Amino acid sequence: MRADATAQQGAGGGTAPATGAARAVGAPILVVEGVSLAFGGVKALQGVSFDVREHEIRAIIGPNGAGKSSMLNVINGVYHPQEGTITFKGRSRHDMVVHEAAAQGIGRTFQNIALFRGMTVLDNIMTGRNLKIRSTFLEQALWIGRAKREELEHRRKVEEIIDFLEIQHIRKTPVGRLPYGLQKRVELARALAMEPELLLLDEPMAGMNLEEKQDMCRFVLDVNEQFGTTIVLIEHDMGVVMDISDRVVVLDYGRKIADGTPDEVRANQAVIDAYLGVAH
Amino acid sequence: MAETLDTFPRLLMHHAKVRPDRPAMREKALGIWQTWTWREIAEEVRLVACGLAAEGLTRGQHLALVGENRPRLYFAMAAAQSLGAIPVPLYQDAVAQEMVYVLRDAEVTHAITEDQEQVDKLLEILPECPKLAHIYYDDPRGLRSYAQPQLASYERLLERGRDYGAEHPGFFEAEVAKGAAEDTAAMHYTSGTTAHPKGVVLTYRNLIECGRNAAQMEGLTDREDVLAYLPLAWIGQNIFSYTQWLVAGFCVNCPESPETVMTDLREIAPTYYFAPPRVLEALLTQVTIRMEDAARIKRWMYGYFMGVARRVGGRILDGKPVGVADRLLYWLGDLLVYGPLRNVLGMSRVRVAYTAGEAIGPDLFTFYRSIGINMKQLYGSTETSVFVCIQPNGQIKPDTVGPPAPGVEVKVTDVGEILIRSPGLFREYYKNPQATAEAKTPDGWFRTGDAGYFDQDGHLKILDRAKDVGKLVDGTLFAPKYLENKLKFFPYVKEAVAFGDGRAMVCCMINIDFEAVGNWAERRNLAYSGYADLASRPEVYGLVRDCVEKVNADLAADPKLANSQIHRFLILHKELDADDEELTRTRKVRRGFIGDKFGVLVEALYSGRKEQFIETKVRFEDGRTGSISATLRIEDAKTFAPAAAKRAA
Amino acid sequence: MAGPVSFFFEVLFSGLLAGVMYSLVALGFVLIYKASGVFNFAQGAMVFFAALTFVSLVERGVNFWLAMAITLAVMILLGILTERVVLRPLINQPPITLFMATIGLTFFLEGLSQGIWGAQPHGLDIGIRDEPMEWLADRTGMFLSQFDLFASGIAAVLVTVLALFFQRTRIGRALRAVADDHQAALAVGIPLKHIWAIVWAVAGFVALVAGLLWGARTGVQYALTFVALKALPVLILGGFESIAGAIVGGLIIGASEKLAEVYLGPYVGGGIESWFPYVLALAFLLFRPEGLFGEKHIDRV
Repeated sequence: MRADATAQQGAGGGTAPATGAARAVGAPILVVEGVSLAFGGVKALQGVSFDVREHEIRAIIGPNGAGKSSMLNVINGVYHPQEGTITFKGRSRHDMVVHEAAAQGIGRTFQNIALFRGMTVLDNIMTGRNLKIRSTFLEQALWIGRAKREELEHRRKVEEIIDFLEIQHIRKTPVGRLPYGLQKRVELARALAMEPELLLLDEPMAGMNLEEKQDMCRFVLDVNEQFGTTIVLIEHDMGVVMDISDRVVVLDYGRKIADGTPDEVRANQAVIDAYLGVAH
Repeated sequence: MAETLDTFPRLLMHHAKVRPDRPAMREKALGIWQTWTWREIAEEVRLVACGLAAEGLTRGQHLALVGENRPRLYFAMAAAQSLGAIPVPLYQDAVAQEMVYVLRDAEVTHAITEDQEQVDKLLEILPECPKLAHIYYDDPRGLRSYAQPQLASYERLLERGRDYGAEHPGFFEAEVAKGAAEDTAAMHYTSGTTAHPKGVVLTYRNLIECGRNAAQMEGLTDREDVLAYLPLAWIGQNIFSYTQWLVAGFCVNCPESPETVMTDLREIAPTYYFAPPRVLEALLTQVTIRMEDAARIKRWMYGYFMGVARRVGGRILDGKPVGVADRLLYWLGDLLVYGPLRNVLGMSRVRVAYTAGEAIGPDLFTFYRSIGINMKQLYGSTETSVFVCIQPNGQIKPDTVGPPAPGVEVKVTDVGEILIRSPGLFREYYKNPQATAEAKTPDGWFRTGDAGYFDQDGHLKILDRAKDVGKLVDGTLFAPKYLENKLKFFPYVKEAVAFGDGRAMVCCMINIDFEAVGNWAERRNLAYSGYADLASRPEVYGLVRDCVEKVNADLAADPKLANSQIHRFLILHKELDADDEELTRTRKVRRGFIGDKFGVLVEALYSGRKEQFIETKVRFEDGRTGSISATLRIEDAKTFAPAAAKRAA
Repeated sequence: MAGPVSFFFEVLFSGLLAGVMYSLVALGFVLIYKASGVFNFAQGAMVFFAALTFVSLVERGVNFWLAMAITLAVMILLGILTERVVLRPLINQPPITLFMATIGLTFFLEGLSQGIWGAQPHGLDIGIRDEPMEWLADRTGMFLSQFDLFASGIAAVLVTVLALFFQRTRIGRALRAVADDHQAALAVGIPLKHIWAIVWAVAGFVALVAGLLWGARTGVQYALTFVALKALPVLILGGFESIAGAIVGGLIIGASEKLAEVYLGPYVGGGIESWFPYVLALAFLLFRPEGLFGEKHIDRV
């Protein structure tokens, strides 16, 4: 879908995705093994395993209620699975807390947008830098030494992201006043400000019109290419995601029913059945 | 040889010598205004020129510029001229196919683009433009994996220039010395409303003399600030942000992005400003919307003091006598309303502001003057290097464009067409002697194609395009643009297309302003799903009917135009769009094209039908096409008997 | 010199200065409300607890500054414990539940403080007399209390410190973020619970300052918990989420109740001071329910 489809070079040989990004997909950065999660008697996830390799775009798709959001929430520590392990950057963990996940380099966006509505776009994105502040309390309060220098650096970084996502015109606008599509973009900007190694996108294109969807696709690809960020995104609509993902996991009723390249997944009978609603 | 400042490169070198450390250009990047001094620019232009020479650009060849107002595109323009090559700016929002003609016609070999978007377009049409061998880009974003051999970054070009300059000392200076006043300085393509665009060849003498005369008339100095926000391809942008920049040596500011222009305008607060009527209109619409949402006391204050301004603001600006009480009220209004308003509009420092491009509604024009902005009308075209008529300070009339500018001769033919002879008159249409001969008389007059006349004070009044002015069957003058402009002054009306030539009555198609009407609807809790839905609402029809009837009441008061009142109208289901060829790239309505495209609607308007089904092809931004259909209501508007309206008024 | 104009200003200024004292209490409410959306009913009890602890320590022969430090430590500990024991188990409960919990906390604190230190009232002397400033009286004819001026000075310093804390520091920013959206704050790596503990600790610190000043003025006694009620109209006026609102609200309440007492009092038989602020607050509720500086919540879908 991009004009540079013919222009790829050195894209890592056989592993190069059809999307033409000039990046080398590496070793697994995140491994999910046998994860099961239940709320009371409801089994949201049942023995799900998959891995995410460095620098790839990995989609988790499935019909509504398939357990996609639960999976994302397990990865960044909102839910704690009853069974199974999550290994991120070689470290297994059982009970991770959300803010620790952020500190380890997992950024995320939300399906229903979680922004600081009372703050401006700029301030929102600046909060993404919060974990990176190193100067001391006193330096900050008195605005001396390191604090000032640091603040300017963060501001610069944030401006780069603003430029990258083309939201200069709303820099000073309170987020609550923005239309939905732009709010989604600001949320992505804030996640990027954290300079995450792994970016979790929860239905980034939900509720958008076609043009906004295409913009968002472009940004996701650009983020992946420019910063080398590993991206896990979930969507219930197969369409757009297939074009930009390297590999796709398909969930249905909390189980993994397929895992592979978009083409493989598209041809998978179980997937077709799940999407067409064939009874099990 | 003594230094004669008769080419742009020489002017640039002159400023680098005379005011080396003054700011010459600014651009907002990463939220901060970055400044280039004249010295820095001269140095960079030298590098780019050497780079281009190294890459094979030679005297007489054309360099295409594709992008928004970015300093580097301006540098490239000066660099090309230093080598004797000719810059050809293209409209950056044109789709790829529209660029083919110009690139082929001008046999463009080198192009400088802004970003990936523009590069993608040029790559798409590369097979159709075999001569285009070098494409440079300013912003490398997203282009890292592109491997086309034609492609290189601007940085790479600078590097090449550094090497080439080192190998060929004195090359740049020698090239600049070769330039002459009669050389082609730039080529701007006219956005043809009907046929292919024509390349207008302008010499250094054309542009510099014209720019200099106007600058002297207005007293422009090197302390002016200008915001460069209109398309580079448009001749006005060249004059205000390039020619006069180099003539007067002031500072040109490039906005951060097209969406931030309003903010940037406020931050820069230019002293010298140009805006076509549609921009002024959009600004006023924004103000009106904001005032409608404001607190009651604010609304009252605005209403009251705008009344004062309408009464005396223009007179005060013109230096005419005004009573002490009114003066005091105006002063208070300036403190409370006009001052803050000018600030919001980014016009608090404006000394000279022009509007041109098309006729401006008198109400719109007087609005700006009444709040103390020295807004003036200008008449000109690409072929005349813009300046033909300028309204002098203190002699402003809303319905004329002023007397001829210094050095310009204007005459009106028997059939009412305006002819012009001036130092700014173009040399020719590129590779098109036939068109040149049609446009220029043997004794050097340029046929503008505009109809108009001089009033008793010697000010030129423009009616319409000569070919567009028609007659109703009863012989009444039908000046469609005049009617359309009257409608467009209402914030709710975005575009209007009037029909009536050779017909018994005038009918009209209308585009509502989505933002303004949407806002209006929201305040009334009127739900709608999109443009087409909103446009079809009976409430919206009522709103528009009020506008049409107010126009009719106005027309009834003018004996010459009373019979051209609008009898029937409809609201179109789609916004008129340049991508669908309904507007020109400069956003003028193409009346003939629209009349053909929406033929069934015209038919329905005149046959008295109450509604009409229509299906229309549209082109999306990504180049795909689709179609939309709707059943449009057609309504009658009240018209007024000339006498009755006079009594009411 | 001491004409009606000068008298008016005297009333106005003494009202404004008294208002500062209200603001101090209101500030504690605002901090906690901003960060956790909880209306902390226990703020008054915290003021009382802080003042009583301090005064009891001093009466037992502890050095003034040491007593201050100990009380501060106790208040911070109390803040952290409150987050741990009271709030954390109630996370994600509706605001009314949290509010009820703070009522419980109120009774607990009152019981605890009187259990430890006894129920008798104490006088508190912080070395500033509640007397008119002669210097000022000589020059302007206005009789303004030295103590009030001192209290205002302290309040100004406190507000400046808090403002710097909120605007500049990482914790302050995190705090604003938490106040705006919990989920989003978590996502950018802000540890919610630490932040809450910090807020309660800061609120404890503010309670200490308010307790010392109020205690010095009215004596340290059980009735001190009721200063919280005085803060209520201030909050309604200024908005629950704005530090600036707490200050301005306090000033308005202080000034208007004094002016009303002096100029309207004679006509309605006096005693206006005790109810006038509430009437003002009620009127405000009708016209600008979000308060002077409160954020208007526009919910767009």
